[in-house]
Amino acid sequence: MHYLALLFGSETIEPGTPEFFAEMAAYEAFDRATGSAIVAGEALHASDTAVTIRPGGGEPLVTTGPYAEVAEVVGGFFVLDAATLDDAIELARLIPAASTGVVELWPVVGSWMGPLGPGQGSDRYMVLIVAGADEAVAPGTPDWEVGMAEHGAFGAAAGDAIIGGAAVHPPSTATSVRVRGDEVLVTDGPFAETAEVANGLYLLRAPSPEAAAALAARIPVTPKGAVELRPIVDFAALMA
Amino acid sequence: MPGSAEDPTGHPAAQERGAEAIERTFRRESGRALATVAGVVGSLDVAEDAVQEAFVEAVRTWSQRGVPDNPGAWITTTARNRALDRLRREARRGPKEEEASRDAGRGPGARGHGDGDGDGDEAVGPVRDDQLRLIFTCCHPALTPAAQVALTLRLVCGLQTPEIARAFLQPEATVAQRLVRAKAKIRTARIPLRVPPDHLLPERVPYVLACIYLVFTEGYAASAGDALVRGELCDEAIRPARLTHQLMPDEPEVEALLALLLLQDGRRAARVDAAGDLVPLEDQDRSRWDRDRIAEGVEHVLAAARRSRGPRGRGPYLAQAAIATAHSTAPTWAATNWAAVVAAYDELSAMSPSPVVAVNRAVALAFRDGPVAGLEALDVVAADPRLARRHMVPATRADLLRRLGRRSEAADAYRHALTLVTTGPERRYLLRRLAEVTTG
Repeated sequence: MHYLALLFGSETIEPGTPEFFAEMAAYEAFDRATGSAIVAGEALHASDTAVTIRPGGGEPLVTTGPYAEVAEVVGGFFVLDAATLDDAIELARLIPAASTGVVELWPVVGSWMGPLGPGQGSDRYMVLIVAGADEAVAPGTPDWEVGMAEHGAFGAAAGDAIIGGAAVHPPSTATSVRVRGDEVLVTDGPFAETAEVANGLYLLRAPSPEAAAALAARIPVTPKGAVELRPIVDFAALMA
Repeated sequence: MPGSAEDPTGHPAAQERGAEAIERTFRRESGRALATVAGVVGSLDVAEDAVQEAFVEAVRTWSQRGVPDNPGAWITTTARNRALDRLRREARRGPKEEEASRDAGRGPGARGHGDGDGDGDEAVGPVRDDQLRLIFTCCHPALTPAAQVALTLRLVCGLQTPEIARAFLQPEATVAQRLVRAKAKIRTARIPLRVPPDHLLPERVPYVLACIYLVFTEGYAASAGDALVRGELCDEAIRPARLTHQLMPDEPEVEALLALLLLQDGRRAARVDAAGDLVPLEDQDRSRWDRDRIAEGVEHVLAAARRSRGPRGRGPYLAQAAIATAHSTAPTWAATNWAAVVAAYDELSAMSPSPVVAVNRAVALAFRDGPVAGLEALDVVAADPRLARRHMVPATRADLLRRLGRRSEAADAYRHALTLVTTGPERRYLLRRLAEVTTG
C-alpha cells in the first residue's frame, strides 16, 4: 500500500546554503534508515516560486504563491510503501520535517505511478491538486469516475510530460504526524483547517516554467479546487 | 473467558424471553464475537456484518428452539461461519479491493510485505487476545477522540448507535456518520487490527486509557442526559478497563485506571440526590457508597503502586487513583487524608501541569492548611486564560470565602460563577449556596 507523505514546514532554508546541506544530510540519513520503503520523493524550491492556478469563469486564474496562506507550506513529498498505517507512521516519524513541521499521510488510490526513486533534471515540476474540503470524493462513486475520465483525457493530451502521479483518498482518511522531543503526536485528518485539502499529485517535465504552467492549467480540478505548481530541486545540479 | 465477573445472568437461560435474552447476549457477547471473527477474517467490516447476521439468525431460531446453553459461543460460531462463507463467495467472484482490505488488518501470519527496514518488525509475538486487538484498533491515535469513544462503545461494548447517541446527547445521525467515517478510515488507511509491538506500547496504551476514561467521565458527569443511560455508561467503561487489565496485568497505569474507575464509581449512588441535583463530596451520604467496589478499587491501587516502583515510575492515573482512594476511604469529609491528596495533586502537576489540577490542589490545600492558604493558591492559578470562561475559579473562591465567613465577598464570587456556569445541576447548587450567604 502506498501512502503520500506531504511535508509541511515554515521554510527558512535556501537551497545551496550550509543549512540546506545539513538538512540534506538528515534526509539522506532518513533514506538510509528506511531503504526500499521509499517509493519516490522530491524536495521543492521555496514557495515564492509557486504558481497557483484556479478555474475561473473563462480563463484560469493564475496567482503566485501557494494555494493557502498558512504558516506551514509544502516543502516536499515522499511516497511510502507500508503494509499498514502504523508502519507508515513509523516511517513518517523519521522524516526530518516531522520534527520541524508536520507530515500528512494520505492513502494513495491504487498505487503511485511513475519513476521509482529520485529523478534528475531541473525541468521537473510538482503539481499538487487541491479540492474544497467538501469536494473530495471516495473512489467508486459516480463523481470519482467522472474525475478519472477527465484525468484520463488530460493524461492522453499531456503524454510524456507526465512523469509521475497519484490520487489520494478523501481527507477523512488522512493522518498528521508530528514529533516534538520524545513525543510522537498523531492526529486525524489534515493538520490545518484550510478550505482546500490535497487531492492528488502530478510530476511534470516541461522546457520552461511557462510551459509547465500552461500544462498545469489543463489539469482538471473541482470548482473550489486549484493546482499549485512547484519546481523540483535538482540535487544532481546542486552537488555539481 | 466464559462467564466473566460482570455476567449478570445467573438463572436458566431457557426461562428468559427470547428477545430479552438476545438483547442481553448482544450487549455481553457481540464485542467478543466481533473481536474473534475479525481476528479470523482480518476485516472489521466483514466481521461486523457477520455478527449482525448471527443475531438475526438468533432471533429466528432461539424463539423456536430456545436459547442455547452457551449463547455467546453460538453467536461467535455462527458469525464466523457467515464471515468465512462471504469470503469464499467473494474469492469466487475474483480478488479485488476486498482482498486488499483484508490483508491490512492481519497481524501475525500476515504476508510481510513492506518490511523494508529489515529490523524484524514483522515478528509480532503470540496473539494475546482478540479483544485487546480490537480495543487498540478502536483507540488508534489516527482517529479523533470522539470517534474512538463511539467505536469502543459500538464494537467493544456492543452498544447500538441510538444508545450511544442518547448517552452523548447527540443526534443519532451524527453518531452514525462518525462511526461510518471511522470505519472507513480503518479500512482505507489500513489501521491494523493488532496489539502494537512492545516498542510502541508506551505511546499507545495512554490512548486506550484516555478513551476508556472518557467513556466513564461521560457517564459519571451526570450533569445532563438520561441518568440511567449514563449509569450504564460507567459500567460499560469499567468492562473494557477490567478486560484491558486482565490482558495486560503488568501495566501499572492500566490497573491504576481500573482502580480509579472503581473508586469513583463506588460513590456514584450518592453523587446525585432524588431531585437530580449534584451532591458535593462533602455532603454525600457515605453509607450509600458501594463498599465492595471501593474495596476492589483500593486493592488495585495498592497493586499498581507496588508495580510502579520500576524505572518508569508512577503515572498520572495512579496519582488520580491515589486522590480517589483518599476520598473513597475517608469516614468523613473532615477526616480525609488531605496531606495525601495534596501530595498526589503535586505529583499530577509535575507530570502534566494543568490549571484544573491546580484549582483542585488549592482546594485540598485549603483543607490541609486552612482556607486562607487555599485562597492564596487559587490566586496564583486564577490568571490562567484557560480558566477565564469557566465557573471553576469563582465557584471555588466563593466556597472558601463562605467557609471563612466572608459572606458578602462569597456572594459576589457566587454571582460571578453563575454568569459562567453551563449545566443545570451546578447552577442550582450555586444558587442554593448564594441564598445561604445572602439570607439569615
